[in-house]
Amino acid sequence: MTKKAKKWIRFRVTAVSILFIVLFVGLLSRALQLQVISGKTLKALAEKQHTKNLVLYPERKMILDRNGQKLAVTVEADSIYADPSKITEPRSVSRDLARACNADRREVEKDLSKRGSFCWIARQVSPNQKQQVEALNIDGVHVIREPKRFYPHKDLACHILGFAGVDSTGLEGLELEYEKYLKSIPRKVLWGRDARGKRIYLGDNDSEKLMPGEDTGCHLILTIDSRIQYMVELRLKEAVELKEAKGGTAIVMDTCTGEILALANYPSFNPNTFTKYSPELLRNRAVTDCFDPGSVFKPFVVAAALEEGVVSESDTIDCENGSYIVGDRVIHEAQYKKHKKLLLPDVLKYSSNIGAVKVAEKLGKKRLYEYMQAFGFGSKTEIDLPGEVGGIVRDPGNWRPVDFATMAFGQGISVTAIQLVTAISAIANKGILMKPHLVKGLVDKEGKVIKEFHPTAVKRVISPVTADRITSILTNVVEGDDGTGKRAQIANVSVAGKTGTSQKFDRALQKYSSKKVITSFIGFFPADNPRITVYVMLDEPKKDRWGGMAAAPVFRDISEQILTCFNKDIELKRVADRGIEREMKIIEVSASGNFYGADNEIRRIGLNSPVPDFTGMSIREVIRAAHDLNISIRTAGNGWAVNQTVIPGKDNEETCITVFFNNEIR
Amino acid sequence: MKIDRRVVLNFEWVLPIFVLSICAIGLVNLYSAGHNLHNSIINPPYMKQIYWIMLGTGLMILAFSVDYHVFVRYGYLIYGFSILLLLAVFLYGHITNGSQRWLVVLGFSFQPSELVKLTMIIALTKFIDEHKAQDGYTLGSLLIPFCIVLIPSLLILKQPDLGTALFLMILFFSIVLFVGVRKQTLAVLAGTGIFLLPLLWIFMKDYQKERLLTFLNPELDPLGSGYHIIQSMIAVGSGGITGKGFLKGTQSQLKFLPEQQTDFVFSVFAEEWGFLGGMILIVLFIALILWGFRIGRRARDLPGLLIAYGASISIFWAMFINIGMVLGLLPVVGIPLPFLSYGGSSLVVLMISAGLMMNVSMRRFVLQS
Repeated sequence: MTKKAKKWIRFRVTAVSILFIVLFVGLLSRALQLQVISGKTLKALAEKQHTKNLVLYPERKMILDRNGQKLAVTVEADSIYADPSKITEPRSVSRDLARACNADRREVEKDLSKRGSFCWIARQVSPNQKQQVEALNIDGVHVIREPKRFYPHKDLACHILGFAGVDSTGLEGLELEYEKYLKSIPRKVLWGRDARGKRIYLGDNDSEKLMPGEDTGCHLILTIDSRIQYMVELRLKEAVELKEAKGGTAIVMDTCTGEILALANYPSFNPNTFTKYSPELLRNRAVTDCFDPGSVFKPFVVAAALEEGVVSESDTIDCENGSYIVGDRVIHEAQYKKHKKLLLPDVLKYSSNIGAVKVAEKLGKKRLYEYMQAFGFGSKTEIDLPGEVGGIVRDPGNWRPVDFATMAFGQGISVTAIQLVTAISAIANKGILMKPHLVKGLVDKEGKVIKEFHPTAVKRVISPVTADRITSILTNVVEGDDGTGKRAQIANVSVAGKTGTSQKFDRALQKYSSKKVITSFIGFFPADNPRITVYVMLDEPKKDRWGGMAAAPVFRDISEQILTCFNKDIELKRVADRGIEREMKIIEVSASGNFYGADNEIRRIGLNSPVPDFTGMSIREVIRAAHDLNISIRTAGNGWAVNQTVIPGKDNEETCITVFFNNEIR
Repeated sequence: MKIDRRVVLNFEWVLPIFVLSICAIGLVNLYSAGHNLHNSIINPPYMKQIYWIMLGTGLMILAFSVDYHVFVRYGYLIYGFSILLLLAVFLYGHITNGSQRWLVVLGFSFQPSELVKLTMIIALTKFIDEHKAQDGYTLGSLLIPFCIVLIPSLLILKQPDLGTALFLMILFFSIVLFVGVRKQTLAVLAGTGIFLLPLLWIFMKDYQKERLLTFLNPELDPLGSGYHIIQSMIAVGSGGITGKGFLKGTQSQLKFLPEQQTDFVFSVFAEEWGFLGGMILIVLFIALILWGFRIGRRARDLPGLLIAYGASISIFWAMFINIGMVLGLLPVVGIPLPFLSYGGSSLVVLMISAGLMMNVSMRRFVLQS
């Protein structure tokens, strides 16, 4: 090539090269702009695309009774949701879905016609409904597994447990009160997702990001014994139906510790389907409703008078032959009985209204008011349940003479069932008022105890001596053959108690109704060393309106069965005295093992079958059990079974078993 | 065939080193791009790419073994053969993604439009070598070379593959302007070009118009036709200065990027290796292309110059258009990134081009026999 040509080529190539370099610089600056200058913004955009914040709710924790029986658990349930943007024919789809899920067709269609990519069709459906939906095979309709709260025993302890809603949030009862323990802290978790929205792992480095939220929740261990609870509910229901009452409440408390062993309201509800009930039924009426207690209030008046020394057991009270004028009213005895002069213990034994008024008058307004407050009336017991009310105790300055008088026999004062149980237990517990509670402790998922709720003494209300004196008076109410509480007697165990019937305040008529009454029995046993407090209240019974007739037998039935249960497996544990002077240490009662009478019936056995363990049963129970099991039996001694000639569990080789009884509780 | 001693002595080492380095980068990148896409595939794309590189290397050796003048001599024949292949595509072509671009021969699918990029250069070389114009080409003398490019362009446009058709046009003008045209001709060409642009719009398919519009404003349809470009820019930008690291590119690994093994392979690279990695790659390309120009400048004769220049500028335009598209500078057109995009046809043709450039370089002192 010529020199000129070479020069020409060099010029062209250089020119093109320069052009290219310019274009390269263009690319470079664009890359610089994208990656360096707006890199951060675009990186954030990328992160937004491929990661998704998921809120994970760790499984709601269980509620167990004191023996580990599961009362509330979490199970997985199927829910149906849809992506409306993928549904082309909302009309026909909604018809099919509504039929499969038993939902309202118009509601479903409305949801499906909305814009957006998510809507619930039905939450927590049955496996059958889920199958039907899957069989429809509609694009854009999906099934997701969701946690659902499940109460395996249905109505059992429903008012205590309360319930949790679809989003696993406690709405009532302990579910609400202990929400922060039952529900683990939800944690935001970063998930990777691909372009199709599928969850993927971001790699090993990110594995800890994918772990579900820290499981901070705790299982609840209740003080409730579900066997006692079951039995109490059963007896209460029977009584309400038998006496044609509107409803009822029964509470069983460990006298010395304030632990609630059973608490029942009737009518009850099934927390699995709580939405089907009226709000009225869902309330735990034992703590949310207050009423005039009636004669069961008299022991507190007498206790206060004894403590203050204004009366003594040997005093005679003039009961004015059944009518006593106070202010502009005439006070009568219940059922218009007529008492002349009564010894102080007999005022309670015969439940004299006028006697109680006389005692209260001796005590005076101020002191009566002080003692009512001391026993806890007018203020909340601080039991661990939501919605508790404190009742109404008016200021003594506003009392008319008649108000003061009626208050002595429990009219014109408003209390809750839990207040009554707590207050009477203070008398039984040598004068110390305990705080009632329902939760014994919290355990984590490994079963390690996180927190224990120990018995808490609130204060001393009366001296131990006064407590003993009033206890013996109350024992006489039941044990005396002509006592108003004689229907509460239990073989071999002395019971202290008091009946009560109060007129309900009729809001429509603005006066106390004589037809509508609340009839109740409150008591504790064994009287010489009280361990169990039981309160039974029936609301507006149509039959046997008097407490001694209607409520006392329920008290007896419940108490007998508790004794059967407890004495058999009783386990006495002395817990440390918490700095409160008293003669008796608090005795912690815990029951375990099988409970005869409720759902675990002892199997019927014949000859050559294992012999049951009779230990702890009363003579009646042993005879009944032996009869049921077709075993001949001979009894020796009084009280509770302590020994037997054939070792429990061994085959029955003897024709007759001797069971030894002893009056002492181990 | 006689091999001159000087051919061996002047063996071109630099160019194949550049080419193979870029190929190696491409392979590593392809491995990453397909990492989460084809876990279960026995023969993943990067493996196939290895076979293609091996085949390409073989053909590259063949391409520098035979004197490039032989190729130029049979230039029209080779060109004709490639046109026949393009016609065959219409008759027996395989349709993917709505266009008919592939020819399946012995189980291998082949894209004749890639081959035409090279054969057209050879045919133009032959024409220009035989019709030298001292003062630049006139409009009339450009008629035949224009037909050389128009025939394959129309055939490719019909596939339809607007990108490649335009690419051939760009290549043609790059070469013609390089060898020189008269000033009046230049003016006429420019005028016609401006006049033809609106016409082009009329003949464009709807999806092509859409692509052009979304290039101007990707937010117009972020989930539809704007999706490619937005995702690509997010991927590239999120790489930042140093990148997210090998196999760590979230946007590509999580399949947000479309066509990440073919046209958008650079997004994967830029996301994982960042601005620095991307620059190293582009600098390697610059080096390769400038080295190609150097070969052309030092070539013994005009055909050598035109082959080296044509091949280099072909690589340049492909790279520039592809990366420009990935960075959102140019509309989305189906031009693969040389040596990096997955695809046998493009790779093999590019390696043959490299072989021809080596050929020119090695024979710069050999007299024509």
